[in-house]
Amino acid sequence: MANALDRRRQAVGLGFVTPTVLVILAILVYPVLQSFVLSVGNSEIDGSGGYRFVGLQHYAELMQTSRFWNSLKVTLIFTAFSIPLELMLGIGLAVLMNEHFHGKGLARLAVLFPWALPTALNTLMWRWMYNTDYGLFNAVALQTGLAEQPINWLGDQTLAMASMVTVSVWKTSSFMALIILAGLQSIPRELYEAGRMDGMTRWQEFRQITLPLLTGPILVALIIRSMDALRAFELPFNLTDGGPVSATESLSLYAYKVIFDFIDFNLGSAIVVIQFLVIFAMSLIYIFTLRKKD
Amino acid sequence: MKMKLLGAGVLAAALFAGMGTALAADLVLSIGSRGYGPTVEKNLAGFKQANPDINVDWNKVSDVPNDARKLYVTGLTAKSPTPDVFAIDVIWAGEFAQRGWLQPIEGLVGADVIKAYNPSFLEAATLDGKIYAAPLYVDGIHLFYRTDLLEKYKLEVPKTWQELTAASKTIMAGEGPQFYGFVSMWGKIEGLFMNWLAFTNSNGGGFYDKDGKVAVNSPANIEATQAMVDMLYKDKIAPESVLNMRPDDARTLFQQGRAAFLMVQDFVYAPLAGDDSAVKGKFDFTRNPYFEGHPDAHSTTMGGWFLAINPNSKNKEAAAKLVEYFTAYDQQLTAAVEENRAPSLPAVYADPKMAQAAVLTKLGKDFDVGVVRPSATTGSLYPKVSEIMQTEVTSALHRQKTVEQALNDAQQQIEALK
Amino acid sequence: MQSRPRFGLYLLVGLSVVISFFPIVWLILTSVKTTGGIYAWPPQYIPNPFTLENYRKILFDSPELLLYVWNSFVVALGTTALCLGFGGLAGYALSRLRIRHAGVIMVAILAVSMFPPVSLLPSLFQNFLNFGLLNTYTGLILAHTGLFLPFTVWMLASYFATLPAEIEEAAKMDGMGTLRIFLSIVIPLSWPGFVATGLIVFIFSWNEFPLALVLMTQDAMRTAPVGISLYPGEYAFPWETISTATVIAIVPILVITAIFQKQIIGGLTAGSGK
Repeated sequence: MANALDRRRQAVGLGFVTPTVLVILAILVYPVLQSFVLSVGNSEIDGSGGYRFVGLQHYAELMQTSRFWNSLKVTLIFTAFSIPLELMLGIGLAVLMNEHFHGKGLARLAVLFPWALPTALNTLMWRWMYNTDYGLFNAVALQTGLAEQPINWLGDQTLAMASMVTVSVWKTSSFMALIILAGLQSIPRELYEAGRMDGMTRWQEFRQITLPLLTGPILVALIIRSMDALRAFELPFNLTDGGPVSATESLSLYAYKVIFDFIDFNLGSAIVVIQFLVIFAMSLIYIFTLRKKD
Repeated sequence: MKMKLLGAGVLAAALFAGMGTALAADLVLSIGSRGYGPTVEKNLAGFKQANPDINVDWNKVSDVPNDARKLYVTGLTAKSPTPDVFAIDVIWAGEFAQRGWLQPIEGLVGADVIKAYNPSFLEAATLDGKIYAAPLYVDGIHLFYRTDLLEKYKLEVPKTWQELTAASKTIMAGEGPQFYGFVSMWGKIEGLFMNWLAFTNSNGGGFYDKDGKVAVNSPANIEATQAMVDMLYKDKIAPESVLNMRPDDARTLFQQGRAAFLMVQDFVYAPLAGDDSAVKGKFDFTRNPYFEGHPDAHSTTMGGWFLAINPNSKNKEAAAKLVEYFTAYDQQLTAAVEENRAPSLPAVYADPKMAQAAVLTKLGKDFDVGVVRPSATTGSLYPKVSEIMQTEVTSALHRQKTVEQALNDAQQQIEALK
Repeated sequence: MQSRPRFGLYLLVGLSVVISFFPIVWLILTSVKTTGGIYAWPPQYIPNPFTLENYRKILFDSPELLLYVWNSFVVALGTTALCLGFGGLAGYALSRLRIRHAGVIMVAILAVSMFPPVSLLPSLFQNFLNFGLLNTYTGLILAHTGLFLPFTVWMLASYFATLPAEIEEAAKMDGMGTLRIFLSIVIPLSWPGFVATGLIVFIFSWNEFPLALVLMTQDAMRTAPVGISLYPGEYAFPWETISTATVIAIVPILVITAIFQKQIIGGLTAGSGK
């Protein structure tokens, strides 16, 4: 009896899961497997006819391509600079939003907007403000005397990277803030009241009560955002097209160019497989850190 | 009136030339919505009238060549039957033909029609003796300059790069800060490679040496490229922002009256001469300068667009008709007079109506010192070649590498391409 | 408890609001300038003259820019519906029906969502072409559904997990089938979860770039972010048109976010808390 019931529930459950699994298999898993297969072979670009297994040849080629190493470096630098900044700002914003004050609705909306807008269009907005000859930033810089010559925001290699990080931080700090805010709100009020009894300062409260209890939400936010940053595509695509030289060419952008500019699906697939491994390794590191803390 | 009749006659002839039995068909045409100006719309209306049973869907592709290219590549790779007819940049012709993505047009487009095209343009779309696309229009890069400023500082129109640098310095000294001598499209785009070819060829160098071997790092090229670097950092006549400019960014600066010299394609003439232009009536253009001692050097890097037929198209005959219509005498004349598009039919230049397009005739003269990009010769490798050149020249312009090192690296990478 | 200084707080809040909004404000200001005003030097902080000409031009001369917004709308709506439908069923089964290997399936779903979208492009493009799905709403909706289903399943599963088990058990005692329990009890109980998830998926789909870039090759089928990004010409980057089109394309998102900010925030924080 119990067995029959269980079997029925299993069948119904499987039925419920099937549409999702089918769509995910078709849209995510199959293409991903195809990328792995493509990355260790040579094939006609139209997919017709011969596929020849070549082992790790494309990976070996990448290891000797400076542009690949550059794009890996760009991706990692971009991630390494934007994530900590987003995290710090995110925590700050979350603490701020956890306070009671007038006009909170408007403030919350302001924080939410940058996240809700399409990255591609956000990027265009910023690109316009960065414009060397007509942009807002140079106008202000020149008129206030902060700069004597127009600053070449997107034309200088270091500045371009800094500009890209700025756009990313502007857009996603709010996302960090929201996740951390939820964590904040789940912290029992009593803890703070007890703290106040003990005469803790605000900073002590934050260090000793808030931060330790936020480890979970912070790690989740870090995982999600790092994955995003490591896949960054439309940000460099619309801001700089990877330039100047290749100073902002991310792995995704490089892969896209290899696939669709050079029409080399095999080499391009090798790049995205490596990118996948980097992302995978990054999440493992986070998860192990999380486990340890628990 | 007479002209109109003549035009109609030629139009009819062009139409009948390719007309077999009338066939009902649906075509998809891919061309940018602004690249060829309003002419596309006009042509489609005319075509519809002449061929009521052929329905043409206009897929407006991006006007950024690289974006349009990606679109074509993905479609053609997957053997998509549409678009039936698509506009390609001249530099893609060799590569696309080699990959089997273009339908040879002989036998589809009338032989007499093909014979009427400028043969040197056709060459860019010819592979192993087969013609793969029909030329729609050509363009090149020219040197635009401010007539009023040259007059104000009593300067001659510069013929050489040395003269241009000297003139820029004089004008910049007089006009004060936020005014630039020379602007162009030195962002990391195809236009940069075009610029580089103009500079190097005008110093007696170029992509190939006399024997047709790749000679990117020749002494003449190093000298010319160094001159580009010096314009930025030594003579400071070009702003560093030129390193992210596309052609229109440079055009806008020049049109605001903030630069003395502008080196870009012919398309800028119309906006510069427009009513809302600050430099209307105050500018002119000439061939690109050369380096002292090379007055015969060719320095007008050429470009242009072709119409091609998809080999997987289900309506090749109808597609060919559309190609013929777009490249026919009357349509080219209209595009020339109204949009300053240099015709690919030599006969059009002799048309009296071309008097209205005097600019075009003058632009056309610069094509006598034309330089073509190595796209037909490098075929499917061209995208990589251009990318390597853009990257290495950019790294020299950013002083990330010395000019010599950048060009040596480029030479080495190009030689390594298979 | 009001003894702590409030001035600093309001200063910080004000600063955050300004930083969040100024790019959007500058964009709107740009869109109501004339072409001359946009490229003026020194720049105009206040549009002079103020003009709605750019909007008129887009509405009447460049209808394709409005079409992009419509396309985004159709795709995002379709994606949301499919995601909620499929993801709701799956999330319910995985969190409440104690099916075998539920944990493994959940982790697997999370794992596949990590793959960079760029890697899906070549394969998806060819498969979609063969099935005639390129340049169709169905195609992009399907692709987006695949992309955002993992998120939906995780969100809804974690929401369902918070429901009290007694209600379902009581219904089971009454002899209700699983599907009926789901439809008539679980969904009504969890609509806040559905609303929050749906809004976020809608925004995700509206904003998605790489797949929309490659799977919609015809201009008339492009979504707003892609269509506007590709609008610059071979030679030109017409900021007057681009800024105006961008304003038009972000208005729907701004409105949705403004109206449903509580639900969206609730959803985002609930989904990531697990």
